[in-house]
Amino acid sequence: MYPLISSLFILPVVVSGLVLILPKLLSRILVISTAFILSTISLYLFISIDQPYHFSVPEHMNHLVADADIILLFFFGGIAIRRKNLLVGLMTILQLGILLYLLNNNPLDNSTQFIVDKLSLFMFVLINVISSIICVFSLKYIDEEECSSFRKKYFLSILFWFIAVMNLVVSSDNLEYFFLFFELTTLASFLLIGFRRDEISVKNALTALWMNQIGGLAILVAIFFISYNGYGDATFSNLLAHASASTILLPLALLSVAALIKGAQMPFSKWLLGAMVAPTPVSALLHSSTMVKISPFIILRLSPALKDTPVAWVIIALTGFVFAASAIGALSQDNFKKILAHSTIALLALMIMMGVVATPVTLIAALTLILFHGISKCMLFLNAGIMERVFHFKETSDMDRLGETGPFTSFVIRVGFMSLLLPPFGAFIGKWFSIETLGALAINQKILGALVIVMIAFGGAVLSLLYFKVLGLLIARTGDRDKIKFEKLSPFYANSILVLLGLIIAGVLGFPFLMTSYFAPVASQVLNLPIAITTQGWNMQIGSMILPIVPLFIAFLLLPVTIVLAMFIRFKNVDRAKEYACGEKVDYSFSALYFSTDKATQYFTLIGLLFFVALIVVGAL
Amino acid sequence: MDLVISILLIVMAPIIGGLIYGFERIIRARMQRRIGPPLLQPFFDFLKLADKRKIIVHSTHAFLGIVHFFSLWFALAILLLGGDLILVIFLHLLSTALLILAGYSTRSIFSHLGANRTAISILAYEPILILIGVSVFILTGSFDTSSIFNYREPLLFKLPLAFIALLLILPIKQKKSPFDVAEAHQEVVGGVELEFSGIFYGAVYAAKWLDEIFCYSLVYLFGANNPILGLGLVLFAFLYVNALDNSSARVSYKQMWRFTLMVALPVSFINLLLSILQHLL
Repeated sequence: MYPLISSLFILPVVVSGLVLILPKLLSRILVISTAFILSTISLYLFISIDQPYHFSVPEHMNHLVADADIILLFFFGGIAIRRKNLLVGLMTILQLGILLYLLNNNPLDNSTQFIVDKLSLFMFVLINVISSIICVFSLKYIDEEECSSFRKKYFLSILFWFIAVMNLVVSSDNLEYFFLFFELTTLASFLLIGFRRDEISVKNALTALWMNQIGGLAILVAIFFISYNGYGDATFSNLLAHASASTILLPLALLSVAALIKGAQMPFSKWLLGAMVAPTPVSALLHSSTMVKISPFIILRLSPALKDTPVAWVIIALTGFVFAASAIGALSQDNFKKILAHSTIALLALMIMMGVVATPVTLIAALTLILFHGISKCMLFLNAGIMERVFHFKETSDMDRLGETGPFTSFVIRVGFMSLLLPPFGAFIGKWFSIETLGALAINQKILGALVIVMIAFGGAVLSLLYFKVLGLLIARTGDRDKIKFEKLSPFYANSILVLLGLIIAGVLGFPFLMTSYFAPVASQVLNLPIAITTQGWNMQIGSMILPIVPLFIAFLLLPVTIVLAMFIRFKNVDRAKEYACGEKVDYSFSALYFSTDKATQYFTLIGLLFFVALIVVGAL
Repeated sequence: MDLVISILLIVMAPIIGGLIYGFERIIRARMQRRIGPPLLQPFFDFLKLADKRKIIVHSTHAFLGIVHFFSLWFALAILLLGGDLILVIFLHLLSTALLILAGYSTRSIFSHLGANRTAISILAYEPILILIGVSVFILTGSFDTSSIFNYREPLLFKLPLAFIALLLILPIKQKKSPFDVAEAHQEVVGGVELEFSGIFYGAVYAAKWLDEIFCYSLVYLFGANNPILGLGLVLFAFLYVNALDNSSARVSYKQMWRFTLMVALPVSFINLLLSILQHLL
């Protein structure tokens, strides 16, 4: 297995180097074939590895990692000086100080640095399959970008490099290794967000840089406390082994801070919202399969230790707040990508919450949400790219004509939204499971528990309203044109979208199968306890939760399927009438519903910050 | 035996709902000292609609109206079969959302206004229904509605505030004055319903009957293990909603929204807290 796993690390790096030098046609062939190879390897690994697989790398790699850390920090320092950014500089100096202290006092030894368990494998599949699709899409997209041909190659190169780093992040056990890869993802996102090199790109890239550097700093401080408390090597497995120690809360809280910042939870949501200035495939990559998914990954890794601690409750309260707050924030947006970004933050909050609650049911819900959110968000963002490039608009209020000018794009976007909202998909399951599990937990937490339930119920309603608003715009059409003619898209665009569409359909049809043989094994290995899934007649029993398969299937037929059908159905033998307008002949222009939420949103940053302070304080106590 | 009753109820739901709707019209008329239409008037209306020439704006719109009826029926079926309360509330939300989609799908101003207002009403009552559902769970230990029937006491005595919260949102749910902004005839000409006609309007019209049953089933749950109490509550809620409808003027959607945020939501929140405390005692 070792060669296959390491090929996931090495192959993308090699490709990332090769695309820089190869001519266009060759690099296209290379990218597409690599996409296939990476996806196949990750899927094959998922089937073939059952037990956690530990391995270490030769000792000289330790020096390499230490050197790479220092070089990286000097690079960040260089950026700070060049851009005259105080915050980046401050973070870099702090990180460098702690890193040098750590390297002097407890040098990396030769213990296991890597662990590949079911959770890593699950992430491998997500990262490699989805990111590969994005890479293929980018071949065409970046070709139309106005920049030098070297910059185009450079863009593809960073994408592959990002995949490699992500694969490393989810398989590292040693926290100092983890820190390096964590910072490398920060670097990759910094380069991608600043790709267009205009003023706003640079500004937002720097914001993303310093915010994520806080996360890196939190990891370093966590490593310091782990060695200070004497748990031995700073590794995830060591941390989990000491889960019952009373001093464990502080490192856990710090690592959670790192996770929450990567997951763009308030008040650190600004970096993800600013990331959309980059070319659209970057948004797709950041939102679906890489970067923000590190956040639920860290939480899931730590979930057995986090469960039922005071830190967990602060995180649950925070994510409950973020879920409602970002849903409300999205109501005032018109830009399609901004709406998507807000809903990513809301759903990430839900994933993190599910991970922290850490019962078998919620972990399965979290994994379902991670996977389906990855596929759907990727598809939606890629379509946002198509909308910009092919139809030349970015705002949702322009989308009401898309049903007629671009029926295929409109159809796919609709499927994307429905696969987030409707049964039996991720967000529906996630919302449902979270309310029911928190209901049980609220009994011990009284006011806090009740408040979180209010947040979820309220945020969930707002989010449904938001999705239906966009769905409504997409389904709108006049009665004049009944024929539907799908527009022709470039094969790179069309095929990557079709693959994603296929994945969604396969996910729905194979839902019971995915439950038993995909999500459940991962969750059971994370929690280290067997999860029994039994099927009794109509119901599937997962832990304490009963999942009614047949009603869910009927709901699937009645809701998403009929909404799709509604677009294509044509009644015969009916007469047509114009819409009623009191007999007046006036041309109306239609827009969607907006709320001005500024009154509420101005406090959100502050509240979020208070939660972060509370998180550290609770951890330290 | 219970299963037979549930299935019978589900199959008969549109007919029972129609009767309730007809009865409601009589009661409202009597409150205004009118005689009112015959009891079977809703069915006569339906038959007439079915017989009319089919005129539609476009097929998408008309089709969504029909789907709205069936998905609402499905949500009701899950409720009557003793299914998961949260699932039922979600499905109900989604089936109403189909009507919103239908409203957005046309280029009609009144449909759009109505759809917007329906969306806001959903936002107003859905969180409260969920909070009531969670407090029921904390009391009975299960989200299944069937567990309420097996609980030793009627919910009304254990969760009086939940019942009050339900009464507060019932007019919003049923689009009754003072919270009938969603279909306010004088303002938006029936809102979403406007562009439907003929048999397609018949579907939307019959969906309203199903909604009546849905609402009163929720009310009945509060007296579930004592049928007389349950029916009494239903009768009370019925009279209350119609009396309120007859005696109050419409408020704007902002006022409605403020009302739920300031009154109904706190009531259901306090109810949730009380149910948690009750559980601990």
